[in-house]
Amino acid sequence: MPSPSLSGFALRVVVDIADLAATNNQNAVLTTYSLGSCLGVAIYDPVVKVGALLHAMLPDSSINQSKAAAQPAMFIDTGIPALFRAAYEFQAQKHRLRICVAGGAQIMDSTGFFNIGKRNYEAIMAIFQAHGLRIHAEQVGGLSSRSMYLNVATGEVRLKVSGQQEECILCPG
Amino acid sequence: MHSVPRLTVDDYLERATNLPPAPRILPQLLVLLNQPNTESGRLVELISLDSGLTASVLRLCNSAYFGNVLPAGDLQEAVTRLGFRQVYQLVAAISGAAALAPALPGYGIEAGGLWQHSVTAAIAAQTLARQLRENETLVFTATLLHDLGKVVLASELESVEPRIRQQLDHGEISLLEAELQMLGVQHADTGARLLVRWQFPESMVMAVRCHHHPSEAQPHERLAACVYIGNLIACLIGQSYGFYSLAWRHKTEALKILDLQPDDLSRLMIKTVEQFEVIQALFQTSASARDSSWNRI
Repeated sequence: MPSPSLSGFALRVVVDIADLAATNNQNAVLTTYSLGSCLGVAIYDPVVKVGALLHAMLPDSSINQSKAAAQPAMFIDTGIPALFRAAYEFQAQKHRLRICVAGGAQIMDSTGFFNIGKRNYEAIMAIFQAHGLRIHAEQVGGLSSRSMYLNVATGEVRLKVSGQQEECILCPG
Repeated sequence: MHSVPRLTVDDYLERATNLPPAPRILPQLLVLLNQPNTESGRLVELISLDSGLTASVLRLCNSAYFGNVLPAGDLQEAVTRLGFRQVYQLVAAISGAAALAPALPGYGIEAGGLWQHSVTAAIAAQTLARQLRENETLVFTATLLHDLGKVVLASELESVEPRIRQQLDHGEISLLEAELQMLGVQHADTGARLLVRWQFPESMVMAVRCHHHPSEAQPHERLAACVYIGNLIACLIGQSYGFYSLAWRHKTEALKILDLQPDDLSRLMIKTVEQFEVIQALFQTSASARDSSWNRI
């Protein structure tokens, strides 16, 4: 559990699968559990202290466009713009945003037949490259599910890898 | 090189001190559900033999997710309102939870972890079975219990856990292969053997035994492939727990058996996430299972 801050107890805001949240509440710890092949994307503006977190499941919304319209956070191609827009509403600015990415795990697949974790990561890289954005820190791939925590007061991003006791720091903030 | 202990699956079953109680009623219910023209009275009669189970089923029927304006007063009413299959699903979940909800430190799985995985996989597989007109009840039950063998092997793995982790760290070996190296047996065979003892139908036994190699389940390879896909979907959407829970080898044969394309899997991921409320409602059965007399049979 996060430690209590001076202004009150930390507020764990849970972002479900195929969802996103943005806030400037300095007590909030944006949290998403169980990133399997899904990608968790945390963005943070250290000047205005605004954080946003996305838990996207699939790379491309063309598979179900009505779903994408109702729930853009389900897909990378619609979720990333929605994530950035949500942060901009709190006066975050693109050039100041620190981007952290985690997840994209996969089972052992030598055929690459359904490599959804890898495809998710490729989709996100294509969008970031097209917009001149760079990932500040990442932990992607592997054979374990992960949970991700963004502390809005500090910008620190932590990960908890399934089956491991300790959380690790992806970005010290 | 670690020498393989010369123990069989049956030896491990005899040694296991934490074996779950046999869900005796499930195989009988499966037979009933697969007979044409089964009367609901027979089903109600069978479930009513266990008063604790009956109470748990009624409590769940009347819970927020399944509940109606007027609560169901008895099982017959519950069956009328929810239908046979829904009541069976609750009974299966209550008995599955008793076995699968506890923590399994040998696999690095916390309390509720394997249960959450099993319920998610079962719902995904059932959704696929409905689409493919396979036997939904059988697919749901087999997928719910596919990792039962882990419950048996978990305590054996505790002593060798650091070595298993070390092996898996290199990413060259699957969890199933690591089990075989360390114990001489693996969880799929072990779970299947337990289901034989519990008198589950052969199709289910084969599906659980071959849930990582569905083509070997002939003539039940379609059932085994449904279990495989349910397990895969649960892992991809993050509902897999413990260390290196995705360390298993993908078999494209599962998709070939069912004639599925990669996009079908993406759609199934979406449909499974849409049923999150059902998954949560079934997940909650682990609380009911603790109260049920089932544990005392």
